[in-house]
Amino acid sequence: MDAPLSIAVIGSGPSGCYIAQSLRKALPQSEITIYDRLASPFGLVRYGVAADHQSTKSIQAQFSRLFERENVRFAGNIEVGRDISLAQLRSTHHIVVLAAGLSADRAMEVPGEGLPEVYRAGRLTRLFNAHPLEPTGVPTFGKSVAIIGGGNVSIDVLRLLIKQPEDFANSDIDDAMLAEYGQAPVSRVDLICRSTIANAPSDPVMLAELGRIRGVRFSCSDPIEVAEDAPRTALARAKAIGELLEVDPGPETRAEVVLHFGWAPVSINGDGHVRDVELRSVNDDRTNQRLGADSVVTAIGFDFDGGDWHGLGALKADSETGVLDQGLYRTGWIKRGSRGTIAENRSCAKTVADEIIADLDSLEQQSKPGYAGLPEEVRALAVDYAAWKRVDCAEKEAASEARTRRKFPSHEQMVAIAHNKLVESSAAQRGN
Amino acid sequence: MKIQVLFGTESGNAEIAAEDLAESIRNDNQEVEVHDLSSFSIAELQHDSLYVFLCSTYGEGELPNTALPFYADLSVVRPDLSGVRYAMFGLGDTFYKDTYGQGATKLDDKLTELGAQRTGEIGRYDASSWEPVGEGAVVWFAGVLEGVSATR
Ligand SMILES: Cc1cc2nc3c(=O)[nH]c(=O)nc-3n(C[C@H](O)[C@H](O)[C@H](O)COP(=O)(O)OP(=O)(O)OC[C@H]3O[C@@H](n4cnc5c(N)ncnc54)[C@H](O)[C@@H]3O)c2cc1C
Ligand SMILES: Cc1cc2nc3c(=O)[nH]c(=O)nc-3n(C[C@H](O)[C@H](O)[C@H](O)COP(=O)(O)O)c2cc1C
Repeated sequence: MDAPLSIAVIGSGPSGCYIAQSLRKALPQSEITIYDRLASPFGLVRYGVAADHQSTKSIQAQFSRLFERENVRFAGNIEVGRDISLAQLRSTHHIVVLAAGLSADRAMEVPGEGLPEVYRAGRLTRLFNAHPLEPTGVPTFGKSVAIIGGGNVSIDVLRLLIKQPEDFANSDIDDAMLAEYGQAPVSRVDLICRSTIANAPSDPVMLAELGRIRGVRFSCSDPIEVAEDAPRTALARAKAIGELLEVDPGPETRAEVVLHFGWAPVSINGDGHVRDVELRSVNDDRTNQRLGADSVVTAIGFDFDGGDWHGLGALKADSETGVLDQGLYRTGWIKRGSRGTIAENRSCAKTVADEIIADLDSLEQQSKPGYAGLPEEVRALAVDYAAWKRVDCAEKEAASEARTRRKFPSHEQMVAIAHNKLVESSAAQRGN
Repeated sequence: MKIQVLFGTESGNAEIAAEDLAESIRNDNQEVEVHDLSSFSIAELQHDSLYVFLCSTYGEGELPNTALPFYADLSVVRPDLSGVRYAMFGLGDTFYKDTYGQGATKLDDKLTELGAQRTGEIGRYDASSWEPVGEGAVVWFAGVLEGVSATR
């Protein structure tokens, strides 16, 4: 092919960044643009990974190199399906890779899930992370909350709910959200995991970290022994839980945390409001139990929403291949489903990049202009990397002493700062 | 003397550091190769090269999964590495207080146990620092090389 190869990646989370890395290395002459609906790059690294886990977020330093040194273009504030269609992107780029992640919380499908105090973990983690498209307002938790789900996200939610404000030093937690929650924090949390301790999906290090929060008493309603020849992680998990139970909460117990393993929800009950959760034992015939709770958080993963993905029909997870059509690929969570850490998206992206490279000869030969081929009014929307850096600087400048940054919870405000139009925009807001 | 940069990574930082390091070595007109530990066999370890390992830490003080087969081969085959020279750079995160940088330390212990000889101190990169990972490795390696030429 004579004309340079043009590549569009949809989504700037870990998957989009990793595949751009691989493609840049294999195709140094290609033109690569990463599109995102948000004005900021990095996806769930910014808006999923917990605000008090800054070291996990530091992977951004690696991804930034793409835009700073590897000649990859960032085009934020462009949403596929709203500002531009998938078909338009395909007609202007030789290769399009979906790396749009999965943001829809999986439903539990039990009666009572629609009660007003049942919240989804995706919403909560976006709120604590000041996601600019998440409607604000702190949910009311009451005195006790039941968190359903045994993975790392459920532990993130638990930790955020039982920490004290001073525990958030050096984080970028949304302070408005934190202050509002601090008015009425919960005093009891039940963490309900369907798996046994041996098979639970949580990282033992995440469990151990809970023990460092002061004023919390932990208990576990189920036996914590695992077989001696169990896998290392299972042993480490059992050990971490054993140590949690030994933690001395100190002079003042602010919160009780009760861990349940091997229990699944049957129903959420209450007359217009959550009153209790009924659980059944998964592996034995212990009788069902009812746990009183004022609110429920579901943290059982994310899923395809079942709807049409911009003309591609309903997508399903595929562990075999990243190929969707000629010149159309997918990687990361939108390929594999909502499993795995940031790093797992790296090996996934490498595999998909290999598929793309193997297909190069079969691509259409006609030249495709890439980003330059987008309508001018769409390109005018774009927040490029330099524009994002203005937001980045503004966030750091706005941070109070104990924070690494203050994220702006409004998409319009972020775009206005990015485009250097803040003065006009705040004037316009006052005019409203 | 040929320099061989070998990296063990999960989330990619060690690979970036390896590439930056190789670039700076190349700019000094030295011969250098970069290999992923996941595709490097212990049988390839030679006496006439200086090996630079860049290795992160996972689990609880473990090596990243891409480096586990290499480490397992060392442990099982137990090759005699006397005469093999290497330098070691560890990536980790001080968030993990008790196991900070242990992946590289473990690999270092194993290489020493098998008779290989380390040049210079173990370099360190702390992900909590948010520093660009490559720069630290380049600065560290300059120090290692100074030591090498000083002892000649
Ligand atoms: C709450 C939470 C906490 C987590 N914590 C950790 C952790 O501590 N450590 C860890 O290793 N992993 C963690 N993970 C997992 C990790 O975040 C995922 O593995 C990873 O982010 C998946 O990457 P992705 O690029 O596929 O998706 P995402 O990170 O979701 O990126 C998708 C991107 O696509 C954009 N996008 C979506 N639709 C469109 C569209 N139509 N047009 C344009 N752009 C679009 C989105 O704005 C987003 O930026 C966590 C996940 C969650 C949900
Ligand atoms: C699940 C997980 C466990 C980790 N465990 C440790 C650890 O025990 N000690 C440490 O120093 N760093 C640990 N780290 C931090 C990594 O070693 C650090 O982020 C490093 O920069 C990653 O380099 P890589 O991208 O080359 O894999 C851990 C990171 C993750 C995601």
